[in-house]
Amino acid sequence: MVGIVSYGTYIPKYRIRLGDIASAWKKQGEEVVSSLRVAEKAVPAADEDAVTIALEAALRALSSSGLNPESIEGLFVGSESHPYAVNPTSTIVGELLGIGNNYLATDLEFACKAATSGIQSLAGLIASGQMRYGMAIGADTAQSKPHDVLEYTSAAAGVAYIMGNKKPIAELLAYTSYSSDTPDFWRRDGVQYPSHAGRFTGEPAYFAHVMGSATRLFEKTKTQPSDYQYCVFHMPNGRFPRDAAKRLGFTDAQLAPSLVVDHIGNPYSASTMIGLSALLDIAKPGEKIFMVSYGSGAGSDGFVWKTTKELVKSQKFPRSGIQLRGTKVKSKDTVQDQIERKTYIDYVQYLKQTHKI
Amino acid sequence: MLGRTGNIISWTIVRVPPADFFDQAPYPVVLIELDDGGRITAQLVDWEDRNLKIGQKVTTIVRRIIKPNTEGVIPYGIKVKPLW
Amino acid sequence: MKVSIIGVATTKFGELWSVSPRALAHEAMSGALKDAGIENGRIQALFVGNMLSGMLGGQEHLGAFFAEELGFSHAAAIKIEGACASGGLAIHAAVSGILSGQYETVAVLGVEKMTDHKPEDVAAALMGAGSSQERASGCTFPGLYAILARVHMLKFGTTQEDMAAVAVKNHYHASLNPNAQFHRPITIEAVLKSHKVTDPLTLLDCSPISDGASALILSIKHQASSINIVASSVATDTLGLAERNNLTQLQATKEAAMRAYKQAGIEAKDIDVAEVHDCFTIAEILALEDLGITKKGDAAGGIRRGEFTLGSAKRVVVNPSGGLKGCGHPIGATGVKQVVELVEQLRGEAGKRQVKDARVGLAHNVGGSGATAVVHILKK
Repeated sequence: MVGIVSYGTYIPKYRIRLGDIASAWKKQGEEVVSSLRVAEKAVPAADEDAVTIALEAALRALSSSGLNPESIEGLFVGSESHPYAVNPTSTIVGELLGIGNNYLATDLEFACKAATSGIQSLAGLIASGQMRYGMAIGADTAQSKPHDVLEYTSAAAGVAYIMGNKKPIAELLAYTSYSSDTPDFWRRDGVQYPSHAGRFTGEPAYFAHVMGSATRLFEKTKTQPSDYQYCVFHMPNGRFPRDAAKRLGFTDAQLAPSLVVDHIGNPYSASTMIGLSALLDIAKPGEKIFMVSYGSGAGSDGFVWKTTKELVKSQKFPRSGIQLRGTKVKSKDTVQDQIERKTYIDYVQYLKQTHKI
Repeated sequence: MLGRTGNIISWTIVRVPPADFFDQAPYPVVLIELDDGGRITAQLVDWEDRNLKIGQKVTTIVRRIIKPNTEGVIPYGIKVKPLW
Repeated sequence: MKVSIIGVATTKFGELWSVSPRALAHEAMSGALKDAGIENGRIQALFVGNMLSGMLGGQEHLGAFFAEELGFSHAAAIKIEGACASGGLAIHAAVSGILSGQYETVAVLGVEKMTDHKPEDVAAALMGAGSSQERASGCTFPGLYAILARVHMLKFGTTQEDMAAVAVKNHYHASLNPNAQFHRPITIEAVLKSHKVTDPLTLLDCSPISDGASALILSIKHQASSINIVASSVATDTLGLAERNNLTQLQATKEAAMRAYKQAGIEAKDIDVAEVHDCFTIAEILALEDLGITKKGDAAGGIRRGEFTLGSAKRVVVNPSGGLKGCGHPIGATGVKQVVELVEQLRGEAGKRQVKDARVGLAHNVGGSGATAVVHILKK
């Protein structure tokens, strides 16, 4: 059975409070925070980009798997901030990981669901026997126009899942995808910042596709919300995933542990995946997880995962990506560890680190 | 070279940078004694004042070295960041 | 060995905005030829020391360039480069050319034009002297010496005031040198107060960016009154600091000095006057220790007590010209200027800077953070 064999997450350590962004534009901080239900967001260092963040996540996934890098036969990197318009991120990451040359490197792009589509592709390649292990990475240093509402939530993070069918920690029981031509958020080639259609990004975009994919997934698996221990949805802000969960019939308790958005904002291609990682950090064996991502333009990928007893062993290991010889690693680098490891910066420093000044 | 650990044996803060590093100054450059032998010179990132001391434990990571001009290839290389 | 220096000259060093490299070379070389009392037709080979003509001026081919410019028609001409040791290396090549029997009379030109460029471009060009790892770290040339300074401070308790004392001594000497870039003495307080360039080094811990040229005429033929080069040695070490064996000394200096003392049949204590490579204040402290003039860890104290200053020196006077710090540091010219200064000292023509009874002189020129070291010993 195909599933996740190992995973790694990376959240840059810098944070900016939404209140500080709001003050810069003479807005009321508390109003912004309560309407978006996000308190602060993760900001990349000036020398970080999707390549370096993808690599950090990948090293962590590899180190906790104990696998030789050369056993990775597919590397799919999804981002909406690939450093090049033409030149693959996946080969730079693959080279730095030491994968060798005998692998399929693929770059993916589909707003915030670029990476989750990679999970589905790799699942198929592994199930067909073409590959034994494949890595799907979602990594972004999301850009937004200053003073635009997206400035409050666009963040940075990276997640890597190594997929395989040998002793997965979470089996992939079923998956669906729901797609349509819905331009709610886009960026034309050569233009620096994305544009969005305001309230159109809600009902006809996010909700239509998340609900569409979720409904299809319930039908396909003949299940209902009460069959699941947890659920996780794409998190463009703190409201949308809470609304989606409620409308589908999930409880607050099922959703709560995945809501990283409240603390780090929206790291785009890494969003849903980092929510799932937060769940895998704490879940017990034999628990089912319902997951639906969303990418503008638009589409939603749905997944049903079931944790296995291999998860227990995985939770014991540090996933820090550091060679342990001679060094006692102080933390297991779970999502929660990284959420708490933070340094605040002010708006001017934020503008420098995101290359606006 | 990735994920190796070591400690700072000397450091400086570059305040008058060379052309390509113009937008980054001031930044620390450190000399590291690696735990499993050898030494490297690298830029220290994700740092606070308290990390600039002899004996500070660091780990090697990959970051973008400079922001190239609009048409150039992006150079990535080894830097170090403080561990705890 | 014995190679005679029959002519010397140097231009002023400083921010010579209106003077071109060609004009600098003319001034230095015609001065040296006049001092030697010979015509330029006698010059069989020209050795040019320079570091940045390519990166800053787009011109690499300096041997032929200056042979043409100076009227050394069809002479042999070679550009020699070794970062800040380019001048010393040019002299070494010239000496080797003479000792090989290939040439009888040769000219050495050290020249650099570096003040009319953006500071960040000069900083980038200077890192051509370091390792590729050091370049990728964003380190600057002063940054490398700052890293060495901190290690020396940790191991021997060297202080910022100790380093500042080097600058004070050399600016004092420079105030007595009409060709020096700086004319006024400074205080330790002023050095400590100047802004940090690369912690812990301040602006006044660093030698300046300068233009200038110096020239020598060397000959195999000796006269009774000639000042002679009796040792010329070069040694190298790793390019980068990370690959060095010992960070509290420059092994290249130690090796070059050992070989030079052996060649000349002298010891460190026999030296009356020395021009050492004080690209940064810490570099002079390292130099005195590595040249064996003081014991390891003792140089800073000696400098502070005035033991190497004109007027109060107990032993050798160090950097009577003002050194790189006070006289200025047009990179390719420095190694040659050091020998010009020593010749004037040994001839008794050093005016207000004269070291009494100077008979043996040592010039010490370093490239990079110690990757190349050149030592010349001169005797009356």
